[in-house]
Amino acid sequence: MNFIKNLQGLDRRYVFVFIAVAIIMPLIFPFNSVTYTTTPVENLYQLIDSYSPYVRADDLNEDGIISEDEVDAFKQDRAIFMDFYHDASTMPELFPMEVAVMRHCIYRKVPFFTFTIMEIAAPIIEEALSVVTDEIQKTGRVIERGKDYINIGYKPAALYLPILLGMGDDIAAAVETDTDGNRIENLPMYRDTAIRNYTQMNLVYETSGSDQGLSWMVYARSRFGVNVGVGLTAVMAADQYPYLQSGQCAGMTAGLKGAAEYENLVDMFAMNNITFSKGQLDNPTEKMLANLDITKDTVPSKFKMARLGMNAQSVAHILIIIFILLGNIGYFLEKKKLNKNL
Amino acid sequence: MTLIGEIIAVFLTLSIFSFLYKDNPAYRFAEYLIVGVSAGYVLPLVYKNAFEPFVLQRIFVEHKFIFIIPCIFGMLFWFRFSRSYGWLSRYPIAISMGMVGMGVTQSMNSMVLVQVRQAMIPIESFNIFLIFLGTITVLFYFFFSKAHTGAYGKFSRIGIWYMMIGFGASFGYTVMARISLLIGRLQFLADTFKGWLA
Repeated sequence: MNFIKNLQGLDRRYVFVFIAVAIIMPLIFPFNSVTYTTTPVENLYQLIDSYSPYVRADDLNEDGIISEDEVDAFKQDRAIFMDFYHDASTMPELFPMEVAVMRHCIYRKVPFFTFTIMEIAAPIIEEALSVVTDEIQKTGRVIERGKDYINIGYKPAALYLPILLGMGDDIAAAVETDTDGNRIENLPMYRDTAIRNYTQMNLVYETSGSDQGLSWMVYARSRFGVNVGVGLTAVMAADQYPYLQSGQCAGMTAGLKGAAEYENLVDMFAMNNITFSKGQLDNPTEKMLANLDITKDTVPSKFKMARLGMNAQSVAHILIIIFILLGNIGYFLEKKKLNKNL
Repeated sequence: MTLIGEIIAVFLTLSIFSFLYKDNPAYRFAEYLIVGVSAGYVLPLVYKNAFEPFVLQRIFVEHKFIFIIPCIFGMLFWFRFSRSYGWLSRYPIAISMGMVGMGVTQSMNSMVLVQVRQAMIPIESFNIFLIFLGTITVLFYFFFSKAHTGAYGKFSRIGIWYMMIGFGASFGYTVMARISLLIGRLQFLADTFKGWLA
């Protein structure tokens, strides 16, 4: 009884210490926990995967063997557009999902554009690109700026609508230059391919800590039929569910959990160059499971940030639940005691 | 160079966390630094990416003098600081509002019409029934022309439960988001200290 009573008046700084310890321990001593993927994340993954030349070569190939020539024949006539709309304060949640989507695109040879109207987001794009390209290039794969991806970088917010609508006609005319000042029409990803507008670039993936994704649904989707996927901080996720239900939002990664799910899918399928299927997700092979062990170095630590974080998240949540239960028990016991004394 | 950057980042992170104990000069220093650095960073970036290509380049290099008109309108914003000529700033604001107005019809389509259409689908599963029930009861709750009594009151009360569950889900997500932010910083500290020790 005294213990419960003391808990009622516990200095909040002790609670901070408990939470800090609960989070730090799983980060120092990582462990494996199961990450179940949800439908909005699977839908987003499948949509991006469907733009991969591997999937399309696979569909048309009867002998079941896909050569690089066959893949290159399909290569680079579909792309995705990534819009970064956040600053460093939401990076812990959004950065891992941006890295995971970029990895997916690079492994599966899906060209992508990166863009922002927030000045502060420009270095975040560069950071994400350097994390992904540096780690993947260590495996011997060559990634070329301007060929595998184009970083449009920061454009003034006043040009947001003209760019958004202009890309329905021609992306090179709408954004003119990339972040290094090169004209888009001179870059191989545009010059040597059929990628011109939303017809080829039929998915916009927008990461933000707000409802900025709605702009793409309102202007680009309603006018050009573009698929819109969103990567959101967990706070904003509940607001976007109605748009998922109505089909206006093609897929969603919400918070650290969404990022962890996407990381899992990339490690299971894209890293092994396997096309996503629900059947294989439910019954994965040994090869697919090999990349999921986050205690080993099979996957670089920067590519499992969200899953490492989710372990800490789970422990912190358990602690918070215990605190809530103890607090409520203390409250009711106190109330009972007061009623008895009346 | 990386080490210096890491030391500064660790110091600033710990300075911000020190507020959890109590307010102190280290916390205030880190707080003011964020504001100053953000403003200092934005100014040259906007100059390079907005002023240079869309003003200097267009007018002085390409001689597209039509761009002088938006420049003048943009400069009118500065009259907000003048009591006598403050009215001039209303013109660029009016143009901005006109741009917002452009999106009204499309917003109506995406945020209302499509959503309503998708709510009017055959009740083929229990989940769709739950969505149907929730939509109707919440709409009833926000219908204030009739007193919420009797059967009507009980029906609209179901709407309150739906909203409470919605708020609970939002709050749960909020807790998750806040913990994630803490995890991000602690992950940085743990990785940095591990790196230093190795």
